[in-house]
Amino acid sequence: MKTVDNKIMITYWLATTILFAASIVLVFAWTPVEQTMGVVQKIFYLHLPVAINTFLACLVSFIASVGYLWQRRQVWDDLAVSSAKMAVLLCGIVLLTGMIWGHSAWGVWWTWSPRLTFSLVLWLLYVAYLVIRPSIESRERRALVSAVYGVVAFLDVPLVYLSVKLMPDIHPSSIALSTEMKLTLLACMVPVTLLSVGLIALRFRLQRVESLNSETSSEPAPPTGVRGSFGGLA
Amino acid sequence: MTQVLQQIALVSGKDLRIEARSRQTLGLVVVLGVLIVVVLGLGLGPQQVASGMAATAVLWVAYLFCGVLCFEKTMAVERHDGALAGLMLAPIDRGVIYAGKLLSNLVLMVMLALVVTPVAIVLFGFDLSAAPLGFAAIMAGGFVGFAAIGTLFAAAVSSTRLQGGLLAIVIFPVSLPLVIVSTQMMMRLFGEGEPLGGTGLAVLIAFDAVYLVVSWLVFELILEP
Repeated sequence: MKTVDNKIMITYWLATTILFAASIVLVFAWTPVEQTMGVVQKIFYLHLPVAINTFLACLVSFIASVGYLWQRRQVWDDLAVSSAKMAVLLCGIVLLTGMIWGHSAWGVWWTWSPRLTFSLVLWLLYVAYLVIRPSIESRERRALVSAVYGVVAFLDVPLVYLSVKLMPDIHPSSIALSTEMKLTLLACMVPVTLLSVGLIALRFRLQRVESLNSETSSEPAPPTGVRGSFGGLA
Repeated sequence: MTQVLQQIALVSGKDLRIEARSRQTLGLVVVLGVLIVVVLGLGLGPQQVASGMAATAVLWVAYLFCGVLCFEKTMAVERHDGALAGLMLAPIDRGVIYAGKLLSNLVLMVMLALVVTPVAIVLFGFDLSAAPLGFAAIMAGGFVGFAAIGTLFAAAVSSTRLQGGLLAIVIFPVSLPLVIVSTQMMMRLFGEGEPLGGTGLAVLIAFDAVYLVVSWLVFELILEP
């Protein structure tokens, strides 16, 4: 079983690496250089796929949080925190690539335009999620507060989106793309998504080991995989 | 229905009576609010202060910090002598406890605003006369959403050591849409003299509705003596 697992892992990461390399080749060798913005526009092929994956990570975290509130199983909490970590990382990349692009396109590193504000608030929401966790000692309490926060944070996302729409905008809502650009963008989506899913899965596995470990060491060994109690005052 | 309202009034009345007799929260938050306004006034310097528009941002900073303190204190009164266990044993719905706490928090915040807002208006030369009702409506919409989320998380973290500044870390990011919407609306209302926009109000109401419903639903799960 272990070797099969390892084989799948190796194949997965090998495929991700190869696809990443191929899409980088596509970005620099095949797609035309954008007329007004020049080479800097190529950061877009990373910017947009990562942005989409940020939402996917947030969605997974939300689903896992709802799952925890519903079933009270530690596995949901592990999944929620793994994907929240990934969301922070990806959103950080979106902010950084966006800032580099913005500096060259608009001449400033930061401007309070709706999309930028939206990404920043999204990042802050999930950073707060990760920051509060270590401050709560009890594992069940931590999972519960995190799950409530995970649900609330995700519901906040559309509200942030609506609220920033009231601000004046300079971010492009759509860009005219040539066929090569569109295809390259699609090609870049695949390795970025594979990387995100792979990293969430890796982090999730580690998180599982950690929580199973603390379960067996700190408590008088409830058999693993058994549901937490529904009752009590919780 | 009247019974539910009665129960809410009982829970909230109890909190407010404790507050009226001890005056430990309101005294604290009013002084803190005034201090924040003064510190920001000094920090911004005469030029920014003279524009008047800084007042809404300054007010929000004061409300956010003082609000967190209010939410924390109204839950903290339940921590002594097993008061929360008693409250939970009372034959009332947990949602009623939430509504009662929310009402107490809102009353505290309105009282805080009644002191801090005039201070900021005077110190920042903010002209409220253009649209006083609009100002009140935006602030009311903001307060309900902020208190809804604050009451929920104050209860969630009351039995942990996650208090004070850390409670702010939980509540602030979630409240940011409120700050964005209300400052944008204030800017339009007072800066450009436009009438109160429907979109902004709709976002405020949506925020309030989403958080009231979610908090009502999950409050039962997170209450723990």
